[in-house]
Amino acid sequence: MNCRFNLGGSKALLRLGALLCLLAASAGAQTSSGQLTITMKVQSSISLIFQDNASVGTPGFCPLTNANTNNVGLDLGTAAFPGNFHTSTCVNYQHLNAAFYEVSSAFDVVVTKANSSSPNYRLAAQISTPPPASVVWLINNVTLTNTSFTALDAADTFGQRITKTLQVQVRNNVPAQVLQETITFLATAN
Amino acid sequence: MLKTYISMMRGVVLAATLLACGSALAQTTATGVINGVLVNKNGISLQFDTDPAGVTLGAAGTNAATANFGSVSAFGPLSGGVTRPSVTAANFTVRTIFDVQVIQGGLTSTTYTLTANLAAAAPTGLSYKVDAVTLSTASQTIQTTGAYNTDVAHNLDLVISTAAPGAGGPVVGTPITTAINFTATAN
Repeated sequence: MNCRFNLGGSKALLRLGALLCLLAASAGAQTSSGQLTITMKVQSSISLIFQDNASVGTPGFCPLTNANTNNVGLDLGTAAFPGNFHTSTCVNYQHLNAAFYEVSSAFDVVVTKANSSSPNYRLAAQISTPPPASVVWLINNVTLTNTSFTALDAADTFGQRITKTLQVQVRNNVPAQVLQETITFLATAN
Repeated sequence: MLKTYISMMRGVVLAATLLACGSALAQTTATGVINGVLVNKNGISLQFDTDPAGVTLGAAGTNAATANFGSVSAFGPLSGGVTRPSVTAANFTVRTIFDVQVIQGGLTSTTYTLTANLAAAAPTGLSYKVDAVTLSTASQTIQTTGAYNTDVAHNLDLVISTAAPGAGGPVVGTPITTAINFTATAN
């Protein structure tokens, strides 16, 4: 009789202990973990943007449309050979000789590098279509073609403004028309 | 004497018939019970899910997922699901979005706290942010009242120095792998 009583008491103690263990486990903060593994590969890159020159608005420095991007517009207005005619007040207009006149405007090119050890870059440009006869498109007196990139600079400094002047030279026998080109600038890290 | 015998036999037959009827009516039965026991354990789980606006996670739906940003650069093209929210002279940031889903059962908790830490020190030229919290090897709190049982989107930003390799910038052209540990704790 006493033996059965004692056994029952032990079972009760065991049950109580188990319950306390469960309660203790429940009282602890419940957590769950996970791991997100990230992979990537960093590549060197450079960017080219066009900016208004500090002298924008004065003769020879027309404002760009969409400045500070790599796709801008530069309107040189309307010009004619006779009478030094030109409508834009921000262009430079001049007669080169007895047959040609030139309209020009300057702007800045800024090339930036990232994750590159390159010390400098070279700059080239190309027009998009062959110009009409007796019309010449130039950058800093370097004639551009639509067949290949023409080198402009060999070692420009990253992050610095490089001022370039777009010139359009037109002979006095060129028929009236809209002269338009898309000029692509190519910067290549050295 | 004969009558007495016949009468006794009738009694015996009647008794036998009654006994037979009695055993046919009173069937033998047995009963049993099953004592069913289920221990309903409480707990929470964490899994990573692909966000519609982010990169497709490897092993999505598990707690050990991968996110591949592909090739990243300050100015070049990026993989789908990766954006470049900022570019400065000093660094650029590429971002993807991933989801965390924490599921709970058996708890009275209504929200959870999410923490994260880098499994190892960040590689040179890189830092990692989750929801603008810069990560380190020490645990950082990302969210204090996360909702259970739903995907919660988080921004994962990689801030990359624009410096050249060897000058404080990251290695270039080599895959860089980093593991981030996340822990959800029931509030």
